[in-house]
Parts: sequence; C-alpha cells; structure tokens
Amino acid sequence: MSNLQKEVERLRGERNVVANKMKGKLEPSERQRLIEEGKNLKEGLATLEEDLLKLTDELQQEAQGIPNMTHPDVPIGGEDCSVIRKKVGSPPQFGFQIKDHLQLGKELDLFDFDAAAEVSGSKFYYLKNEAVMLEMGLINWTLSEVMKKGFIPLTTPEIVRSSVVEKCGFQPRGANTQVYSIEGSDQCLIGTAEIPVGGIHMDSILAESLLPLKYAAFSHCFRTEAGAAGAATRGLYRVHQFSKVEMFVLCRPEESDLYHEELIKIEEDLFSSLGLHYKTLDMASGDLGAPAYRKFDVEAWMPGLERFGEISSASNCTDYQSRRLGIRYRPSEPSSASPKKGKANLAPPRFVHTLNATACAVPRMIVCLLENYQQEDGSVTIPEPLRPFMGGLEIIAPKSR
Amino acid sequence: MGLQSCIGGTTLQTLKLASIPTLSSSRLVSRPVQLKALTLDFFLLSRHGRSRRSPFPLLARALSAPAIAFQTETPPEEKGNAVLKPQWKAAIDFKWIRENKEAVAVNIRNRNSNANLEAVIELYDKMSDLQKEVERLRGERNAVANKMKGKLEPSERQRLIEEGKNLKEGLVTLEEDLLKLTDELQQEAQCIPNMTHPDVPIGGEDCSVIRKKVGSPPQFSFQIKDHLQLGKELDLFDFDAAAEVLSLFNLSGSKFYYLKNEAVMLEMGLINWTLSEVMKKGFIPLTTPEIVRSSVVEKCGFQPRGANTQVYSIEGSDQCLIGTAEIPVGGIHMDSILAESLLPLKYAAFSHCFRTEAGAAGAATRGLYRVHQFSKVEMFVLCKPEESDLYHEELIKIEEDLFSSLGLHYKTLDMASGDLGAPAYRKFDVEAWMPGLERFGEISSASNCTDYQSRRLGIRYRPSEPSSASPKKGKANLAPPRFVHTLNATACAVPRMIVCLLENYQQEDGSVTIPEPLRPFMGGLEIIAPKSR
Repeated sequence: MSNLQKEVERLRGERNVVANKMKGKLEPSERQRLIEEGKNLKEGLATLEEDLLKLTDELQQEAQGIPNMTHPDVPIGGEDCSVIRKKVGSPPQFGFQIKDHLQLGKELDLFDFDAAAEVSGSKFYYLKNEAVMLEMGLINWTLSEVMKKGFIPLTTPEIVRSSVVEKCGFQPRGANTQVYSIEGSDQCLIGTAEIPVGGIHMDSILAESLLPLKYAAFSHCFRTEAGAAGAATRGLYRVHQFSKVEMFVLCRPEESDLYHEELIKIEEDLFSSLGLHYKTLDMASGDLGAPAYRKFDVEAWMPGLERFGEISSASNCTDYQSRRLGIRYRPSEPSSASPKKGKANLAPPRFVHTLNATACAVPRMIVCLLENYQQEDGSVTIPEPLRPFMGGLEIIAPKSR
Repeated sequence: MGLQSCIGGTTLQTLKLASIPTLSSSRLVSRPVQLKALTLDFFLLSRHGRSRRSPFPLLARALSAPAIAFQTETPPEEKGNAVLKPQWKAAIDFKWIRENKEAVAVNIRNRNSNANLEAVIELYDKMSDLQKEVERLRGERNAVANKMKGKLEPSERQRLIEEGKNLKEGLVTLEEDLLKLTDELQQEAQCIPNMTHPDVPIGGEDCSVIRKKVGSPPQFSFQIKDHLQLGKELDLFDFDAAAEVLSLFNLSGSKFYYLKNEAVMLEMGLINWTLSEVMKKGFIPLTTPEIVRSSVVEKCGFQPRGANTQVYSIEGSDQCLIGTAEIPVGGIHMDSILAESLLPLKYAAFSHCFRTEAGAAGAATRGLYRVHQFSKVEMFVLCKPEESDLYHEELIKIEEDLFSSLGLHYKTLDMASGDLGAPAYRKFDVEAWMPGLERFGEISSASNCTDYQSRRLGIRYRPSEPSSASPKKGKANLAPPRFVHTLNATACAVPRMIVCLLENYQQEDGSVTIPEPLRPFMGGLEIIAPKSR
C-alpha cells in the first residue's frame, strides 16, 4: 500500500506538471499532446486510486485482527498459566449441609426461572422480594463507594450502533456472537457499559486538563451466551440479562499502569468490605481479549458451586480502543515562552489510554452473598455495608406459608 | 348445506377457504389423507375438561363469561400443519358477543376501533355449523367402525370399508377447513376491543373528564428554564454524545441519553423510594426480563410487528424488547389456574423499557419527554372480577399519593372512550404541570383491563368451594375456573418525573431543590447545585 501510495503521488505530481504547462502559451499540436497525456494520467490515476482504496480496506481488515501488545509481566501461556496476585480470606466453615444459590432462592422465594423460561426463554429470570432489594442495595452502595473515589456516575443507552461495538473490540456479527442485534437496523444491545461509555468521547480531542476521566456507569447488559452450556451455567451464574456497575477510565498513556492498579484496588476493597473470600489473577497471554494489554480477574469462592467463580475483570486496553474510537487528547504546551499563538505551537494530539473494570456484576454477587452468608435455619445474613442501602434489612428469613 | 354460499365474502381476510366438496363426490379420493391426531383433539369438546362449556352468571360488563372450547396453548404438533397467525388463541366468548351484538357494536364505534364485528359473527356461525358437520361425520364414521366389528358378508364389509374411507377423507378436509376458519375467526375477533365502563365519557381525547386536581402551578419571580437547559447547565445529561453513539442527527433530538452526576442519584432515588412506598402497600417487588417472546407481547394487547410498531424486535428470533414491565409480569402466570386464596396478587416491577416511538416527532418530543429507553416502576394486579373496580381506585390513589408527596401540581383524567387502548375497560391518566414545557404532561396511566389480557394469557383462578358439606372429593366438586381481571398502573416513569422535578423545583441561582421524601434515598442530598468550573 505504501508503494501504491507513492505511485499515486508520483502520478498526481505529473498530472499537476501537465496542468501547469497547459496554462502557458502553446502550439496547438503541443497542447493536443498535453491534453492526451493529461487524460492518460487521469485515467491511470483513477484506477490506481480505486486499487489503493481496496488495498487500504484489506489492510485495515487484516490489521484490526492484530491484538494489543502485552505487558511484560503478563504470564505467557493458556489459562492455567494465570498467576495469583492476591488471595484474601478463606472459605467459610459451615456446621451444616449447605445449599447452592438456586435452592436458597427457591426456598426464600427470591427468584423465578421457570416463569421466565416460558415468557422469554432459558437463562432469563425474575428477581423477587428481598433479591430486588439486594440488587438495588448492591448498585446503590457500589455507586456511592466509587463516587467517593472521584468516579462520575452515569446511566447509558443500552441500544448502540454496531460500529461502536466493533470499535471497542467486540464482534457483533460473528458466529457465536455474544451480541443481540435489533431487527431492521444497525443497532445492537450492549453486553457491557464499557461500550456506550467508550463511545461518549468518540472522534474527539480532549484537553489534557480533563484527564483522567473516571466514569462509573450503571446499565443492564445483554449477552446471547451462545456456545455456553453445562452445569457451570445454572441459575444466576450465566444469564442473558443482568445489572452491572462498570468503571471506565480515560487517561494519558504514561498513567495507565497506575490506574490499572487503582482499579483493581478499588475492586478488591469492595469485595473485602463484603467479606468475600477471593483471589485476584494476572491473566495469562492466551486468556486476554484482543483489546487488553493486561487483565486482572477476581474470582470469589462460591460454596454452593464448590469452586471459585469470576466476579469481576479489570483490563488496561492502552490505545487499542482509543485508536478505533478516535479518542485523543492535546498535551498542554511544554512552555509558554513563545508569544506566537496558533496551531504551530500546540503539541500534536495523542491517543488516550482506556481501562475498564467491573465494580459490581449483580447476579454473580447475589450468588456469592447467598451461598456464603446462608445460615443453618435457611436464612441469609446481609453484610453490614449493604444494610443502609436496603432500608436497614439485616437478614433474609424464610417466609411462613 | 349452504356452506358454499357463505364462503368468500369480501370481509374475510387472509386465507380463502378451500371449497368444501360434497361428500358424495368421488374427487375426494385424490386428496392425500393426512390425519394429524392433534387437530381432532383440538376441537373435541367432550374429552377435555378445560374446554368444557359451563353455565355461568353473565356479568354485565366485558367478555367475562367463560370461553368455549379453545385451549390457549399452542399445540406443538400444529407446527407441522399450515398454521396461520395467530398461533395462540384468545379464549374469547363468542356466544356472549353474539348475544350482545348491539352493545359490542356501539362500543367498537365509541372506541374508533376498526374491528369487524359482522365478520366475527359470520365466521363464528360458519364455524359452529362446520363444527356440527364434523361431529355428525365423526358419528357416522364411528357407526361404521362399530358395524365392522360384527360378523359381515364380504360384500357388506367391502361396502362399509368404502364408506368408512370416504367418511375419513371427507372428515380430513372438513377438519382442515375448520382449522383455517378458527384461525380467521381468532384473528378478527382479537381485534374487538374490551367493553367500556359505563362511567367512561364517550368521545375523543378532548372529552376526557378531570376527576381530581391537586396543587397549583408554582409562581416564579425569575425567568425559568426548561429541563434541557437545566440539565445542560447542571451537567446532568448528555443527548449529543448519545446521538453520536447512535448516529442520529435529526433535529428533533436523538431520544437516547446518558444521565450524569446527580441525575443518576435522582433516578436511583426515585426508584428506591417508589419501590419502598408501594411495598408498604403490599406489593411484591420484582425485576423482570426485558427480552420476551413476541407472543407474550401480543397476548397483552400490543402489536409487535405492525407498521409504526412501538416494539423493538431481536434479529433472528421471535423475541422482542419490552415497552413496559406489564408484559413480562402478565406473562408470569400465563396458562395457569391460581388458587383463589392467592388473589389479589399485587406486583411492583422495576425494569428498563424500550419503545421505538415511530411516528412521534416535534417539539413535544424534545429532551427527556419522549425517549427510546427509560426506567419505570410498574404496578400490576391480578384479582377476582368483582374486585377490579375497587383495585382500579386503589391504584390511582397510590399514584396520586406518590405525586402529592413530591409536591407536584397535577390532574387525574378519566380517559374518553376514543382514547382507551384496546385492552382497557377504563383508564385514568395523571398529567403533571411542567413549567418549562408550559403545559401538563402525562406522568402515569392506570388501566383496568378486566379479562381482556387474562383471556389471551390464559390466567384463571379456581373459586373456593361454596361449602365443604359433601364428603366426596375430586374434580366434580370443584367450581370451574374463571378468568382473573388484570390491572396495571405506572408508579414511576423516571424521565418524566425528572422533567417535573427539575422544572418545578428550579431556583433563581440555577440550582434545583430535592423534594424531602427523596432525600434519604439520595444519601441526604438536598440540592443540585451548579458546579464551579
């Protein structure tokens, strides 16, 4: 493509030369010759420019397939190579036969999967009674906590253009896509608020003073979960629709490692406050999504499932998304010594770095809280931090029938 | 038989009926014999308890007498046949319609409905006749079958075999016709709107009557702003970024938006406060799926696939996005018989709602007033028929109390017959004063749908037995199930409430005061102040 571009430029140069010559006084035969030459150059150029366009598209398609570079500390290998960065707490000891969240939910009348299967299909659900208060409590508490850390609270559209989905690094129309599309339009449902938030500053140049921009977005998320099956997907663990509070940061390139550490610390603090037993993993190279330069996953202990389950993920996408979304910032001038104003004195814009991290994925949190805080009498205790956000509720008790 | 003269009336849409050959025609032999066992069961009145016609006191309003003969679930085996839309069947009381023809016709006129009552009655009569014919033939076929069991002369047996075969083929044809006729009948009949409460004013929307007026417009001693300007200055929403993300550049606004900062807290506060208030009144809180099967949308009385539909559909599936939680909540008890002791069932459902707003344009749709996506808390009640008027009053009172608590100036309207949706027997709308728009804007709607939705969703209840004197147990002693009545009412439609609160509580310095009841649900926030930059 570079070669073709040089060729195109060369031809354009020649065409301009011809055009200039034609301005002067010429013999008719000379003029005729130049007209011929100009015409040939024009046609040749048209062909080359078409080829250039096709080549550019092909190049883009191939190049967009190249994943982000990887942080040097990331373990190389498949998912079993992921490294534990941190482990907090220990599995709770129960003096009785414990139940999984599905059974607890049934007995405490907290959800209804059967009615939802009729109305919508499998992996849909209604939350009822205290589970609704738990969802509202989790969201309100999480938003309140991250707002204290300087995050701007947002709610977002849940229908977006498919091009925005692609620019964030997802594939709306691939086989086994996770993305629901709206019939008769180029719109899709979001699978995470990362997408509409990434889109806020699309095709913009931000003032450096605005950075870092820290958003905490609450939205519903929709995922087809095509290709996911098995016991690991029972109940609330894997569903088509759920509520989530997502943190999204736009910052200068030299600061993204720092904010990645800040984001994972915020998540760990949230989960520690709720008394969860969890481990933070530095995900191996084979397990990063294409956009992620580095990714930390938090897996919490779920006694009913008898294993750890992912409750959050924090990715540093460096400039992978910003190059696609067109988000740049204008560094402030190094010195104001020169009196001359204007663009010549401005530093050229640079791409921001973007990061995203799950502050709270409600269904997975509900699984954790129900399974970890169940009591022998079948009730479930509410962790202290959530109580003020649930009207003071301390315990979800079995209802007398 | 006279059937042939009824066929092909110009009022009949969709499929034209295959001509019904006379039984003696030898042409019958050429039709492929395709006995789908289920089509027989579908219409056999005598075998299925659920489809039994039972004597019931006729209630003065609505189509509330029990259904005749129609199962409400879609038999899966039907898919192999040429199944027409609709694939599910509403349990419509045709007999009642026929017997109350004039009242139904007047009602259709009053509601400006384009339902075709004549077609419905005609199709129903045809269907009844055809049904009798089918039964007659079945009787004959059974008689032949019985005869064949005895000892017979070979020639006699042969003759009977022939006769039996002819009857069987004739039956198959008639049964196919019956199926098509039933589907046509359903399609026409489902268009008939619900009956109307006698107190509802007759006419167009200007005939709606004010039931109640609360408060008065606030007096401002300064130049007031509309919610869009307030939102911009207080950095509360972003419509432009949303327009980019959705690439919508029309002048009337993008109808998608981000809420920011205190507006997020306002949304959460409104939802939490509303849920907390209605829970005190005995409503069961719910969150619901926002993707549902399109059949459920239809059963609630909406048209997912009409022109100018309000409904978003999911590509590659029969699923849609909900425009209101009324739909997934109505679906919870689909095809069920509830114990009477469960009623009334009162749900308060929080969900996001999605509406295409196709056909809506103009200044009235700027900003948060008309949007594609919004949060809403919806009340939904299932009750016994004789109690629905009572619960309608209860629902409107709950709404009015909520809005009064927030200090809003509003009026409650008894909507006129021309402005009721097809499912509503009666509808109360609340319109609140929006100073920035300089007019009243609808903030809620409470409808009594009587049995319109329950007949489509198949929701019934079993009345408790009048006395337990008889020691004999079993189905014979149970009262037959009756259709419940359903009601729905908006407890809180967040964007409209935000418009009201911003515009009514704005201060001269550009800040907005938060009404007292919401403050505990917003971390004690009392005022949304302009941010220093």
